[in-house]
Amino acid sequence: MTLFELFQYVIIALYLAGTVCFFIGSLKSNKILGKLGNLSAVGGFALHTLDLLLAVTLYKETVLSGGYFYFSLLGWSFILVYFGLWWKLRSTFFALTASPFALLLFIISLASQSLKVTIPAHLAGLFIGLHIGTIFVSIALMAMAAGAGVAFLYLNNKIKTKANLTGMGKEMPSLNTFDNVNHWSIIIGFPLYTLGLAAGFLWARAAFSKMFSWDPKEIVTLVVWFLFAFVFHQRIMMGWRGKKPAILVIIVFVITMISLWGINFFIPTHHSFKV
Amino acid sequence: MDHNIYLIGLNHRSAGVDVRERYALTNVEEFEAGLLELGVREVMALSTCNRVEILVVCSPDITDRNILEYWAKRCGGSVRELEPNTYSHEGLNSVKHLFRVACSLDSMIVGEPQILGQLKESYRKAVEAGAARVIINRMLHKSFFVAKRVRTETSIASSAVSISYAAVELAKKIFGELQGQRAMLIGAGEMAELAATHLLNSGVEQISIANRTYSRAEELGKCMGGKAVPFENLYDHLVETDIIISSTGAPHAVISAKEMRKVIKKRKYRPMFFIDIAVPRDIDPDVNGLDNVYLYDIDDLKDVVEENKSQREDEAIKANSIVEFETLSFGNWINSLDLQPTIVDLFNRSEHVAQQELAKTLKRLGDVDAKTHKALETMAMSIGKKLLHEPVAFLKRRTEEEGKADEFVDLARRMFNLDNETIPADAHCGRKKKNNFED
Repeated sequence: MTLFELFQYVIIALYLAGTVCFFIGSLKSNKILGKLGNLSAVGGFALHTLDLLLAVTLYKETVLSGGYFYFSLLGWSFILVYFGLWWKLRSTFFALTASPFALLLFIISLASQSLKVTIPAHLAGLFIGLHIGTIFVSIALMAMAAGAGVAFLYLNNKIKTKANLTGMGKEMPSLNTFDNVNHWSIIIGFPLYTLGLAAGFLWARAAFSKMFSWDPKEIVTLVVWFLFAFVFHQRIMMGWRGKKPAILVIIVFVITMISLWGINFFIPTHHSFKV
Repeated sequence: MDHNIYLIGLNHRSAGVDVRERYALTNVEEFEAGLLELGVREVMALSTCNRVEILVVCSPDITDRNILEYWAKRCGGSVRELEPNTYSHEGLNSVKHLFRVACSLDSMIVGEPQILGQLKESYRKAVEAGAARVIINRMLHKSFFVAKRVRTETSIASSAVSISYAAVELAKKIFGELQGQRAMLIGAGEMAELAATHLLNSGVEQISIANRTYSRAEELGKCMGGKAVPFENLYDHLVETDIIISSTGAPHAVISAKEMRKVIKKRKYRPMFFIDIAVPRDIDPDVNGLDNVYLYDIDDLKDVVEENKSQREDEAIKANSIVEFETLSFGNWINSLDLQPTIVDLFNRSEHVAQQELAKTLKRLGDVDAKTHKALETMAMSIGKKLLHEPVAFLKRRTEEEGKADEFVDLARRMFNLDNETIPADAHCGRKKKNNFED
């Protein structure tokens, strides 16, 4: 077993431990488990960062064309965004979204070692950072907003129907907190997503000599952008709060996930993952 | 070291409010001093609006009847009147009852934490007056420990069981922290005032009062530190209000869903929480159907409270088994206050330490012959026994002095940690003066 492989097993173990601690900690209202979950997540994230840096440094020539790198980076972005929320709210609740996604994406990244991603060489170094970086962080933000949206709808329903709050419901943050997470995720996530998209189109122009080529991924991404723009507008300009933006962001996130798993794997596209 | 422990008292179950009022102790320190003069060794009295508890440690020649007579006399009543309204526990039953009181298992609302504060305050006074000594000290410290254990290991106190607390808890579930939120009282019912007070205590920034009689709103505003608003401009003020408690005597709804639709839009959909305590209701039930508006009426809140109460009853079963266990543990300590078990424990501890040190020394020395081994063992045991000779002789002498033995035996047990116990830091009350809450 190489040091690289050992790293990866330890990262999986730490993310798994974190996920289990966060779930049981939330169900049993146990703060110590929440702290343990955070420690595991910090450990996992530190090693994950090192793993990505090593991959970029050691395999500079091939890393950008490997599926491993992208799934791993997306998982890393989820934990990064979770830490941002934790720093702001001091609540481990949002790890319930970030932690299992990060674990799943990291495992998938290991299973995707043989996947190849078509990357036009033209200006790749510059646009990978801008396009992939901003899109991945905005997807992680969308996930947090969607997680907060599901929790909001659950808690809102409980309070509206006057059901007594027991177990996890009792320990959940307030409706206002979920709505704030939705708000922050949208006002930070949408500009980032827009920037990522613009970078992608500019890159496409340099690489393929045209900005838009009716690629299925491009179409779905534009649909997501329009929906995201609509929620952004309604939140900022119309003052939407609570249920409506929660539902819309869940829809946006679900379409993004369908796009990631459905289009990248099964439909011919510039963004295709090929074995 | 013969002693009896009695706990004599009355509470909301054994006595009506008139009896509770008549036999409440107005000057607890004097009451305790009087009992000490009567010849009891230790005493602590607790008197709240829901209960009076008198805990006494005394020689066998004093009975619970003597205590009852003193109590009745002190309050200008008679034993004939007092006795049927009281309960009396002896020995470990007293300990168990005290633990149940500390854990709030004996309170009118099971799990309410106020009684523990009252108990700590009474104990502090008894310590200051020199009325609480070895046994009561230990009993009270143990009762604080048991209360803490019950709160940690059960969720007996984790849900709101009064209307106003339930309202505050719900408000927190909607808004998070209540700092910066604005509340409004519509009408001036007593329960609404109570709920508003709880909201203010929880950090609500500002409270306004709307009443049909403006002068009454102003009066209440002065009293609560809020401002009066004209009833006619109610909807305008609602735009700036997050939490509304309504309790007018109006025969029909004073707030309609139609108007609220406009208000919520003007508020840019910031959430609103309505607590409608009035009967008939003040707020159109359709208001609850609007996005980001939450409406609870008196029945909804009652349901929440009842459900929480029944959960508490389930948790009380767990709490009772903790109390049983800790009572037995206290019983072991009481028994160990006789001199003989303490002497045995001291020698066992000494032998244990000697054996441990001997093992370490032998390990360091490596191979030693049997003769050296035996010599070292004898030396270690002898040092332990000889060191204990004087303390044991001292304890035996003190045992012959009436009233002193418990104290020195307890001291010896604590010095040598014979009970292997750790008393939590916060179990030692009496360092800080606390508010005397109502039970």
